[in-house]
Amino acid sequence: MTEKKIYSKLGEKLASGEFILTGELEPEKTTDLSHTIHEAKQMAPYVVAANVTDSPLGIVTINSMAATHIIQRESGLECIWQLTVRDVNKLGIAGMMMGAHALGIRNVLSLTGDHTALGDMPESKPVFDLDSATLVKLVREMVDKGSINGYEIEAPPKLHVGAAANPNANPVEAEILKIGRKAEAGAEFIQTQVVYDIEKTIEFLTGIKKYNVPVLLGIFPMKSYGIAKGFDEFVPGVSVPKEILAQWKSIKKEFPDKKMQKEAYDQANYEFFKPFISELKKKKLLAGVHCMAVHYPRIFPKLQEVVFG
Amino acid sequence: MTIITTKKPFEEIVVAIKDIKRITIVSCASCAAMCQTGGTEGAKEMAEKLEAEGFEISTVIVPEEVCDNRVMKTDFRKIEEELRHTDAILTLSCGLGVASITEVLSNKFPLIPVFVGTNTEFMGMTERIGRFYMRCQGCGDCLLNETGGICPITTCAKSLMNGPCGGMVDGKCEVGKYEKDCGWVLIYKRLKELGRLDLFSKLRESVNWSERGHQREVVWR
Ligand code: SF4
Ligand code: SF4
Repeated sequence: MTEKKIYSKLGEKLASGEFILTGELEPEKTTDLSHTIHEAKQMAPYVVAANVTDSPLGIVTINSMAATHIIQRESGLECIWQLTVRDVNKLGIAGMMMGAHALGIRNVLSLTGDHTALGDMPESKPVFDLDSATLVKLVREMVDKGSINGYEIEAPPKLHVGAAANPNANPVEAEILKIGRKAEAGAEFIQTQVVYDIEKTIEFLTGIKKYNVPVLLGIFPMKSYGIAKGFDEFVPGVSVPKEILAQWKSIKKEFPDKKMQKEAYDQANYEFFKPFISELKKKKLLAGVHCMAVHYPRIFPKLQEVVFG
Repeated sequence: MTIITTKKPFEEIVVAIKDIKRITIVSCASCAAMCQTGGTEGAKEMAEKLEAEGFEISTVIVPEEVCDNRVMKTDFRKIEEELRHTDAILTLSCGLGVASITEVLSNKFPLIPVFVGTNTEFMGMTERIGRFYMRCQGCGDCLLNETGGICPITTCAKSLMNGPCGGMVDGKCEVGKYEKDCGWVLIYKRLKELGRLDLFSKLRESVNWSERGHQREVVWR
């Protein structure tokens, strides 16, 4: 066996087995990335890297490869470029891999992407030439073999490629077997959908353990009652536990003072996620945590205690 | 198997043929008749509507299968005289019928334009009259032996080769407000039932488009 090649800080930490925290940045429908860069700088001391989303929900935003490059350059924070197979065919994606490398991108997360019909350009052609597993395979061929479709690449791209998983999926066995395909394709890490249900999470993580791919668990600390309620209502397939919603509601009522309210929310997140993560860590089911709460960078110091404390 | 058609909005047809006076209606007795867009009934209804709009009907024929060139050659021979006094043909059949008529007429009547009065939806499975479902898109490289007889190209909204995707919730698909089954969950359930989850676990290659993206034909040589 040749030694595992390392191309990024994320790759290095994953290889070392060190427990890690990653964050998420969501560029919007704009050419101005200053807010996102500001957020990246705020989370930079706490995370190894941050994901940069690719037109989530099929709602068009600034191109994720361009955004990833600019955020990395301006904030110094390493990013995980999210790429969906929704908008570009195999040929285009292969070209983008070389482009991404040339722009200094060293991590890519392979995603299917929400269907165009769901977004704000529903008349757009849904591509899906590749899927999330065959995209992983394509990247690994380019990186490891230095070829594409068998044709040599003069200076091949060097990126780590990850994939997504959904522990909330029902039927869960179909999802577990699908992760097996992604592992076979060569996924180097998994980032999961947001979870709140510890039983389901354990069942799923135990189910995919045999594939030996490091898992970063998706969590969503909730900045306010409104955010918690919105997440519960609008994210299909993930529900925020009733007790949490009730607790968040009572915080809103109990603390009219904004500053105290913020502290109470932060503390409540800490108290919910601390035992959750500790249990999974104890069971050795995780390689780290992926925090998907965008626009909530002030949670990171507390989250650091949750994850590493 | 039936090529499923629906009626084109009448106003849309009128706009397309607005400069035409004398019309021959060719209405298919096969699939379109079953879909109630063609056949004798469909032709009669269309003729009445067109006449009410001031168009003149040269003649009406209801061939056995408009998509079959041989049938059309025979049937057009019988109405050659009428064709000489017609300005256009309105076809009540699938798109194949329009192509067939155009090709058959290209020698003797190349200047007669051929219009279509239907929208061709898909090739469909019939549950009963009025309930037709797309189950195969004729991709030319059938995967059904590996997917428990359920087509991922057709039943998965993204035609994925390695589903289900993250858009699946409780077995339903994100496209269409979670009302339709996720094709990949159907495949999973069927293969599980058959004791063939080994097939489900298989990593599939992406579709090979090298043979698909151009005019396809089957020609015995
Ligand atoms: S794979 Fe699907 S679309 Fe292709 S021939 Fe088979 S059933 Fe038809
Ligand atoms: S939910 Fe299922 S059917 Fe819908 S796009 Fe995803 S895999 Fe395909």
